[in-house]
Amino acid sequence: MIRVHGLTREFHDFSGGTFRALDDVSFDVRPGEIFGLLGPNGAGKTTCLRILSTVLKPTRGLAEVAGHNVMTDPEGVRRRIGFMSGNTGIYDRMTAFEMVEYFGKLYGIPDDRLYARIDEIFDVLQMNEIRHRTGGKMSTGMKQKVSIARTIVHDPPVIIFDEPTSGLDVLVARNVLDAVEALRDQGKCIIYSTHIMSEVQKLCERIAIIHRGRILACGHLQQMIRDHGRSDVEDLFFDLIRQHDAAFPVENDSDPAVPA
Amino acid sequence: MSWKNVRLVFLREVRDQLRDRRTLFMITILPVLLYPLLGLGLIEMMLTFSEQRRTIVVLQAAHLPAEPAFLTADRIDGRWLGDESGPPLTVITDRSDSQEPDIVRIGSRTRDRADVLRDARTLAEAVRRHSGSSDAPAGRNDSGAPGDLSTQFRNSGIDALIVVPPGYADAVGRMRVYLKKSSSTAAGAPEPPPPLIVVRNSADDRSVMAFSIVQSALRNWEAALRESLLQDVDLPRSVLTPARLQWVEVADGDQVSANIWSKLIPALLVVMTLTGAFYPAVDLGAGEKERGTMETLLISPARRIELVLGKFLTVMLFSIGSALMNLASMAVTGRQMASAMGAGLAESFRLQFPPVSALIWVFLLLLPLAALFSALCLALATFARSTKEGQYYLTPLLMVVMGLTLFCLSPTVQIAPMYSVLPVVNVALLLKGLLAASGQAAALAAWAIPVLVTSIGYSILALWWAIDLYNNENVLFRESEKFELRAWLRHLMRPRDAVPAFSEAVFCFIGILLLQWAWMNFVRPDLNLPADRLQQKLLQMLTVQQLVTIACPAVFMGILLTTSPRATFRLRRPAVSDLLTGVVLAVLVHPLSVELNHFLMEQGVFPELPEAVGRVQALMASREQPLWVLLAAFAVVPGICEELAFRGFILSGLARGGRLGIAIVLSSMMFGAMHMIPQQVFNTSLLGLLIGLLAVRSRSLFPVILFHITNNVLGLLYARSEFLPADGLLFTHDGQTLRYRLPLLLICSVLSGILTVRMIRDLVREQEARRRGKLRPYTEPTSSGRLKTAEETSAAAPVSSPARSD
Repeated sequence: MIRVHGLTREFHDFSGGTFRALDDVSFDVRPGEIFGLLGPNGAGKTTCLRILSTVLKPTRGLAEVAGHNVMTDPEGVRRRIGFMSGNTGIYDRMTAFEMVEYFGKLYGIPDDRLYARIDEIFDVLQMNEIRHRTGGKMSTGMKQKVSIARTIVHDPPVIIFDEPTSGLDVLVARNVLDAVEALRDQGKCIIYSTHIMSEVQKLCERIAIIHRGRILACGHLQQMIRDHGRSDVEDLFFDLIRQHDAAFPVENDSDPAVPA
Repeated sequence: MSWKNVRLVFLREVRDQLRDRRTLFMITILPVLLYPLLGLGLIEMMLTFSEQRRTIVVLQAAHLPAEPAFLTADRIDGRWLGDESGPPLTVITDRSDSQEPDIVRIGSRTRDRADVLRDARTLAEAVRRHSGSSDAPAGRNDSGAPGDLSTQFRNSGIDALIVVPPGYADAVGRMRVYLKKSSSTAAGAPEPPPPLIVVRNSADDRSVMAFSIVQSALRNWEAALRESLLQDVDLPRSVLTPARLQWVEVADGDQVSANIWSKLIPALLVVMTLTGAFYPAVDLGAGEKERGTMETLLISPARRIELVLGKFLTVMLFSIGSALMNLASMAVTGRQMASAMGAGLAESFRLQFPPVSALIWVFLLLLPLAALFSALCLALATFARSTKEGQYYLTPLLMVVMGLTLFCLSPTVQIAPMYSVLPVVNVALLLKGLLAASGQAAALAAWAIPVLVTSIGYSILALWWAIDLYNNENVLFRESEKFELRAWLRHLMRPRDAVPAFSEAVFCFIGILLLQWAWMNFVRPDLNLPADRLQQKLLQMLTVQQLVTIACPAVFMGILLTTSPRATFRLRRPAVSDLLTGVVLAVLVHPLSVELNHFLMEQGVFPELPEAVGRVQALMASREQPLWVLLAAFAVVPGICEELAFRGFILSGLARGGRLGIAIVLSSMMFGAMHMIPQQVFNTSLLGLLIGLLAVRSRSLFPVILFHITNNVLGLLYARSEFLPADGLLFTHDGQTLRYRLPLLLICSVLSGILTVRMIRDLVREQEARRRGKLRPYTEPTSSGRLKTAEETSAAAPVSSPARSD
């Protein structure tokens, strides 16, 4: 469903250097699976997922979603993915219903199917009470529900969650996780990016640990923990990151925060 | 592109804007309420101001003649004040029989009448001293009055002070006696009566108003006095007015108001359309980024062009709506005010609404204007990171537009070929013309074609820019970087790539323009030199000008800002066939270019040549200088210098984004603009297209230098009429200059056309092949991984090291 091969993305930073946010990243995700992308802030998770959602273009490498290349057929890719991240907000001056309806129409769903689908989603996510409330008057949890509804309104085969629980309280975060699991059970192909270990442990079967633009390890979670002789994912994570930092110390020149 | 999506985005954005109270307020409520309120406020202010009591003091009133009486019962006689109901007056006189109360109100305070009179006398004394003599003081004393006098006047609370000179009534009496006797005796004429002094303070509105009342009252009174003098000697009244003026107004009310509308509407329309577009645009562009919904929208399957068009149409709707609302509200308020300000004003020009045909024009021309501003504002707003940053862009934009509008308001500026293609100016001028004279609409309507075409063209360009920004991930995900001057300078100074950036190319062009302009203005030959010395001097100067103002900036920038001057200036070994193409093409194009210029000249498109250009042309035709010197100065040096700049640095920079077509067109426009003289701009722009194409196709500068030199050599020989054959099928001449005939022109067109098409075809094929071969140019990953260009660039160019070490 998702095929990423040798994906590299470079940015030109302000002081004239080139910063490689993604370096030769490869992985595959299958339907009915939640693939965890685990990494600290600034590791390149968001860049990678933005490339998959076609809002960024890769410097080189291949990225395919449901058989559509992000470079040659970005519209085809966008039609087949649901994408939700901290940066995909909802409109303040639109009600929950209007918001989901608007995106449903942008996806080109015929009216009769669309309204049935909206009713179904609003029931499942228990959103009927905020149906006619505008975004500006919603709590964070309500907004997150609208975001999920917006993400799945066109019933995409591939769904990407980029840190969907950041800034949410425990209860709302739990609801989000439940929704993700439910989607997996429907046979969706899901990428779940986070830096929270417990979520990975709960949701993901296979993960990739990404740090400074590179994939340090990729495979079945339990298998990896066993192979590295660690007790849980947190130990595994810190172990890998320490190893990598020791092998490739941060060059001054590449980091604009460090004065030359 | 799906219009369904455009409509969807449009409807959503409109609904969103209508739900936004701020936008709604700015666009609708403000114009509907603001202008009437402002108008009411203004009227109210004027009324209260005119209702305020004015104080006029008359000193030595006893010396006024008894008949006609200026004052009756301590007031200015009603006869002199006229019908107009002015503000109430308090008149204080020093007549002994005055029956005024001892306490008077002056402004907001009450004062003893005696105190006011004492102040007035002190003032009169000061005025007398200041102007030398009480008998002959200046009537107007506002120019040289020293500061303490004006302070005294202000403090006294008197708004106007009339000082009647002693013996005034007697002098009038003597004149009366003289007139009666003049028919019989030849006694000498009496001294003229001394002048009445009126003291006022022009810096004080209250005093100005009081003075104008006093002045008109005194004039009326003087007329009556004069009449009474004439009556005494039985002369008819008509001798007083031997030359009367009678005004005949041919403009009817409609035209008077048309004149007002023609000034008001274009200016207002331009500003209102801009502000009406700006606020929604900022909300739709930067606001979307700020609220974090931009990415939500970008991941929807709608294409970028659909998103931009939907947003653009929304902005345009609000821009038009805002402009129309403002205009309507202002017109209604204006009429209300005109009628409220007094019958006189309203009758002198009955402000008619423009006729329907003019209003249709207003609406028609509003459309491209709104389109241009909407697209421009949307692009700027998309570029901005936040609504705050977006609003910063409003001020410069508004100032530029206001400047253009003010320029259009000048009565001497009328629509002309040149102005009809300038953005904003063309619409404003055409509208001005159409509104000023509705009868000439048919004559002016022809201008609507270039105006509309160019305006729509500009709008499309601006829209294209906006769409381009939406496709530019750097702009969409522009992070707020802390601005650091040193980092920025380092960023500028550091050679980043083999060829210059787009912005550097534009910068180079602007630099060349400025240098050229400075050279033309500040370096002038000494015209007093003998003719042959002057010619030598001119040749030297032309050569130095080419080197200093064109070649130097390009070469310096090329060395400083790029890692590969060789690639930048296309210093590659050319194929022989390309060199040949350069020469042949130049030969083929020469007759076409010459005849096109002749044609344009005959059509009277160009203004007269400036004097300096005439001198240079004379020099080209001159037989006194050896031919090789002229060839060097007019062909070889410009060929090399201009090509280094325009097909070297500038074209390389412009073409860097991979858009070769646009790069060639832009570089040729710059090349044309650099020539500055209208006669050359058009021709050189066209030639620039060919040269640019040749440069890109051959990847070398040498063929284009050859083209340029050949072209200039032929031009020089042509100007000198070196070759004047007998009339034939291909050539003819009108005694002085050689003319090419149609068959030759046809042959040249066909052959050069074939060459051009072949070059374009080859270029397109090459591009296709490159695109098909690899989607993106693949660069080998370096071993260390994280950084590749930084080391290479710093090693290749030592220029950057000082900037980096500190």
